[in-house]
Amino acid sequence: MNNVLYTLFAISICLLLGKLANSLFSALPASLYGMIIYAIFLQINWFSADKIVNTNQWFIKHMGVCLVPAGMGIINHFKLIQQHGIALVVIIFSSTFILLTLIGYLSERFLITPAHHIADTKAQNKPKSGVN
Amino acid sequence: MLSTFITNSPLLASIIITLITIATYQLAAACQQKWQYIWLNPMLFTISILVPLLLLTNINYEQYSESTQLLNWLLEPAIVALGLPLYQQFKQIRFYWQAMIAILVFGIIVVISVSFVLSMWLIKAPDIAIALSLKSVTTPIGITLTNQLFGDSSITTFAILIAGLFGALLGPQWLSFLGINSAKAQGLAIGSASHVIGTAVLVRKSAEHGAYSSVALILSAVLTALISPWLIPLLQQFYH
Repeated sequence: MNNVLYTLFAISICLLLGKLANSLFSALPASLYGMIIYAIFLQINWFSADKIVNTNQWFIKHMGVCLVPAGMGIINHFKLIQQHGIALVVIIFSSTFILLTLIGYLSERFLITPAHHIADTKAQNKPKSGVN
Repeated sequence: MLSTFITNSPLLASIIITLITIATYQLAAACQQKWQYIWLNPMLFTISILVPLLLLTNINYEQYSESTQLLNWLLEPAIVALGLPLYQQFKQIRFYWQAMIAILVFGIIVVISVSFVLSMWLIKAPDIAIALSLKSVTTPIGITLTNQLFGDSSITTFAILIAGLFGALLGPQWLSFLGINSAKAQGLAIGSASHVIGTAVLVRKSAEHGAYSSVALILSAVLTALISPWLIPLLQQFYH
């Protein structure tokens, strides 16, 4: 229970700071500022990741239910779906596959692990293979 | 009859409607947990049960959305909670964050432009075009961004679900068919195109696939939030 309150406190503080950041520079929505601030506070250990992890995972796991009301708006769009249903699917399908292909191809081609990192992993793996 | 009940005792109605929504969602989540079908998405399932229910009981969308205000309020803290996976992936990104961001920025600009132009061409409605342009990010952020740009967020929600399902069901095979097999490339591609739904499927392949996929889903959400407020108005100018 303590950790639940701790997590809610941490999230609320970050959301509050996010609102503040958004009112100063409106480049990102308040909640996204909050998310980045939250990640930074965890990284610099202002909030303990061990304490928040369980409640936070639970929160993420059940987040979908908060999105149902937004999706229910579809009820006002039956006419649009009747008229343009196929167009909607074509647009979503084609743009999703363009994005998949583009990012997949570019990452395969250009994201190369730096040599020193490969050396690091090899060094870490060596004792293990030695045992075998 | 039910509509008058909602106007007469809004609090009680709100509690009941919210409970029904949560219960349906839980049922769907339990079914998905049991059978592991990707298309048995709890959100999609809940919406397809509740829509006929609302039509049957003559409750309109405005009444429903007022009654479920509580769930809407939780959207912002839920987005903040996504900071945890971002923090957990910091290590993963540190070697090539510049290249990764460059690739994602390029991908996002292309996908927003393609979706916007196609929608304006085929459907000719700016609010729908905005909604469809923002369909590659995770749902809570997609909704927030669409509202910010005065698009129609219910269309975004649906488009996001469909994009997620396409990518999750066909994405990995499609990438392997193209010869793109590394965990890094598959993870980034699926995460940026099919967000959480794609990530949930890809994580079964390996933890590394899942890690890259969640990096991509969060980074692309942040980058889309930065890019869309100037790119979409720019695209809109061509149609005035």
